[in-house]
Amino acid sequence: MSAEPPKQGKDPGRCARVIAGRKVTFDDEGFFDDFEDWSEEIFEALAHESGISLITDRHRQVVRVLREFYAYNGRAPLNNELRKGTGMSLLELDSLFPGGLKKGARLLSGLPNPKTCN
Amino acid sequence: MIYLDNAATSFPKPAECLRRALERYLQLGASPGRGGYDLAVEAEAAVSAVRRKLCRFFGAEEDHRTCFAYNATDALNLLIQGLLQPGGHVVSSRLEHNSVLRPLHHLQRQGRISFDLVPFNPDGFIEPEKVAAAIKPATKLVILTHSSNVLGTVQPVKAIAEVCRDRGVPLVLDVSQSAGAVPIRVKDWGVQGVAFTGHKSLLGPTGIGGLMLSPDLNPESTRFGGTGVDSKSPYHTQEYPYRLEAGTINFLGILGLEESLDYVEQTCPSSYGREMSLLKKLRDGLNELPGVRIYCCEHLEDHLPVLTCTVAGRDAADVGAILDGDFGIAVRAGLHCAPFVHRDLGTLEKGAVRFSPGPFNTEAEIDETVKAMAAIAR
Repeated sequence: MSAEPPKQGKDPGRCARVIAGRKVTFDDEGFFDDFEDWSEEIFEALAHESGISLITDRHRQVVRVLREFYAYNGRAPLNNELRKGTGMSLLELDSLFPGGLKKGARLLSGLPNPKTCN
Repeated sequence: MIYLDNAATSFPKPAECLRRALERYLQLGASPGRGGYDLAVEAEAAVSAVRRKLCRFFGAEEDHRTCFAYNATDALNLLIQGLLQPGGHVVSSRLEHNSVLRPLHHLQRQGRISFDLVPFNPDGFIEPEKVAAAIKPATKLVILTHSSNVLGTVQPVKAIAEVCRDRGVPLVLDVSQSAGAVPIRVKDWGVQGVAFTGHKSLLGPTGIGGLMLSPDLNPESTRFGGTGVDSKSPYHTQEYPYRLEAGTINFLGILGLEESLDYVEQTCPSSYGREMSLLKKLRDGLNELPGVRIYCCEHLEDHLPVLTCTVAGRDAADVGAILDGDFGIAVRAGLHCAPFVHRDLGTLEKGAVRFSPGPFNTEAEIDETVKAMAAIAR
């Protein structure tokens, strides 16, 4: 199998959408480009799109913990910090969001895409 | 914490090795080979002794050259960028880590080389015939991982080396995962070089690795600077090992590697057997869980203690986070810097979870891990 050079683009997969009256740019996995673009209204719209039919206080609590931690520390909480901050196991937390922890809770909270090797 | 990410780096390290290395460094830590005073000469002699020890460890001839680098990725860059000339062709595999893939892609994008990646079979092995078929008249190098960092499969390198020898093409192995876990026999296998790192199964510190090359493999220098020899020349020396080493080397790392080599030589066979027994226990436990899919671990012959799996309906990153946050189990989730393996397994989108037991794990920890995975896969 011959290896072809990968195609190069400036921002492959990046897209902008207008949600709740605001233009928001997302990366190729749907993560917010800018933490400050997030709003309650945008969260609700994206949460419904992701399959959350009823947004509960627990959803909002997770989002609040994630956003407050990120705003204060400039980084996402560690796994242990997230568990302690929300008072939920990560397994519980994961089950709250159809997209799971990373592509659900983190994405809907407007935190940036973690640049880990995956 | 239950640490099952030894394929990324072994942890913990044998404490006595680090203490002895530090003690020697405190006594001997002048600049190796950079002065005529006794301490610098002694330091250089200590480094040379480690080079010879590595030659023996890898079953190489005494005339093989050992050049130190920061790690295997660094060593592979030195080799690939130094060896390949414009128009050259390389054969490698779809099992490779980005440490090989990215230098190859870089040179390809510059229009300097071309390469072909040999596929692996459903059991995770590269077949020698596939390597033979990929070799062209322009092929200047075959470079392969000795063991996949995703699948743990140890490749049939002796048979592949025969193919390469018949076609007159040098074979270099990336032994990042295998060195220290299973014997490496450079001379017996007929390979022309290995790139190694000290911090995985060799149990040494991070920041030290290198190349071991046969005398007929001569990469050009791609880094230039001080070597402690031939200082009046404006050009970097072509003399080994300095040809591929620029600047003061990581003496503390080298001393740490020496200590860990001694440790591994004493413990390797029993440690490997124990780790494989833990892997089998883990595999058998995970096999019972619905929704858990294990890759290329059905047969554990020619295998390292590495197991990669997916959990149906879950992103690997989430599984890794839950294992860490709820159960205190450290694993590696994602693509493991080996994108072609995951593309071929069908795990490129959601990644996979890799478990890699090490010498200090216990059966009880494996039991805990299986229980945790059962809770996640429910």
